[in-house]
Formats: sequence, C-alpha cells, structure tokens
Amino acid sequence: MASLLPCPHCGPRPREEFTVKGAAQARPAPDASPDVWFDYVYLRDNPRGAYAEYWHHTSGCRRWLIVTRDTATHDVFDSRDAAEGREVRA
Amino acid sequence: MPQSLTLRPALARLPLQRSGLRIEALPEGTVLHLLAPVGSGPAGLTAELGASGLSLRPVSPGQWFAVGDAVLSNTARAALAARLKPAAEVVDQSHGRVRIALSGPMATRVLAKGTAADLSLTAFPIHHATTTLIGHIAAHLTRIAEDRFELIVLRGFAESQWEDLDRMSAEFG
Ligand SMILES: [Zn+2]
Repeated sequence: MASLLPCPHCGPRPREEFTVKGAAQARPAPDASPDVWFDYVYLRDNPRGAYAEYWHHTSGCRRWLIVTRDTATHDVFDSRDAAEGREVRA
Repeated sequence: MPQSLTLRPALARLPLQRSGLRIEALPEGTVLHLLAPVGSGPAGLTAELGASGLSLRPVSPGQWFAVGDAVLSNTARAALAARLKPAAEVVDQSHGRVRIALSGPMATRVLAKGTAADLSLTAFPIHHATTTLIGHIAAHLTRIAEDRFELIVLRGFAESQWEDLDRMSAEFG
C-alpha cells in the first residue's frame, strides 16, 4: 500500500509524487557565526518521533510544503505550504 | 533556399474506441501557461480568455493553463499576453504540451488505475483540475463533464501516456 501524504492544495497523494528535501529549520541570520551556519547546513537531530521536513509536490502542484510527521509511525500531524505566514516575494 | 517547417502532431493516431470509453488526441491548438502571484484569483483573466476562445484550467496556486482547439497567431498571442499582463505572465506551451480526451462511462475506472487522486464526483466535480502522476507520468487532469476528462502531458511523454492508456483500457476492448 502506498504511503499517502496530504498536500494542502491537492489532497492526499502517494509518496511517489513528492521529493523530500530534509529538515525544515529556521535559517540563521546572514551574519551569524560560522559555527551556527555549520550546524544549520550539516547537523541534524534525526529524532525518533515528530519531525518537520520540506517536501516538494513535484508531480502535483509543485509547491514546497512543510510536513510534520512521526518518523517511527509515519503519522502526519501537519502539512502546510512553505510560503504560508511569510511574505511571498514576487 | 527557403525552408518550411512541417507540423508533425505528437499523437498522429486515430481515436481508441473501447466499449464505454473513447480516447482521442485533441487538436494541437493553444496551451498557454499563466502565472500570477499566489493568492490571486482568475477573475481578471476569464473575460479576456473567453474572447480569445480559450478555457481556463487551474494548475496550482496562482497558475492556470488556458487551452483551445485553434492555433493563435503570433500577433494574437502577443496581444493577448499584453492585455493579461497586469494580472498574469503568459508562457506559450502550445508546442510543449499535448491534450488527450477520455470520455465514456469507463473513463473514471481507467484513470483510477493510474492515479491516487480521488475521482469521485464529490471530490472531483466538473471543471475541477489537478496535476497528478498517472502511472509514472505527471499529467494535468481536468473533469470536463461527468464522463469526460482532459489530460495535458508534456509533448515528449504523449506517446508513452497514450500507450499506457491503451493498456489500461484493454479490459474494455
Ligand atoms: Zn500539491
């Protein structure tokens, strides 16, 4: 059985329609120290449990999403457009 | 020496007639991709497009396809793009995407073999459209009528999509 992911624009779709990019975390300030940027680029928590990731609905609406799911059970808690709540720059 | 370009349709095929299903390549007329800021509606577009003989298909937030059976001349397309400019940018996809129609009472059953999108009339009403994988090919799907769907696929995938639909509908031979 295909694992389904809910897209806020398209509804539930099989994982095959998506590309996962990895952890969705806050981007450091441009002038943050190299240590902070190193952690942001390379260090991941890899938790067993809730995890927020960027997913791209590649074969669908082609929007970037932030999906929060449980890495052990694959229960999806939240799925939203990555631009939501941010200023969308033209 | 003057050279003339010959139009070679991506799907130079006769319609497939099954029992309860017909699959046909639609005329390679016009497919325009419209792009607007996320959150803007199609309200500013429909009148202009209707006057040009084009129908609107939602693609994703702020994006639509405008499709029609007739080829728009370069002049007409440029003029339309200029009139739409305040609302949306226009990218001509007429030579990049091909339309296929599936009609008949078995159309939903055949498509359901390839996509996980819910095709029930309540979840996917008439005029609703979405992009989804049909088998391994990303296709844009619009319900034109209860028993009629329009597929838009990239031109290079049109033959593969056609052959897949041929096989998917073989049971209704
Ligand atoms: Zn989507």
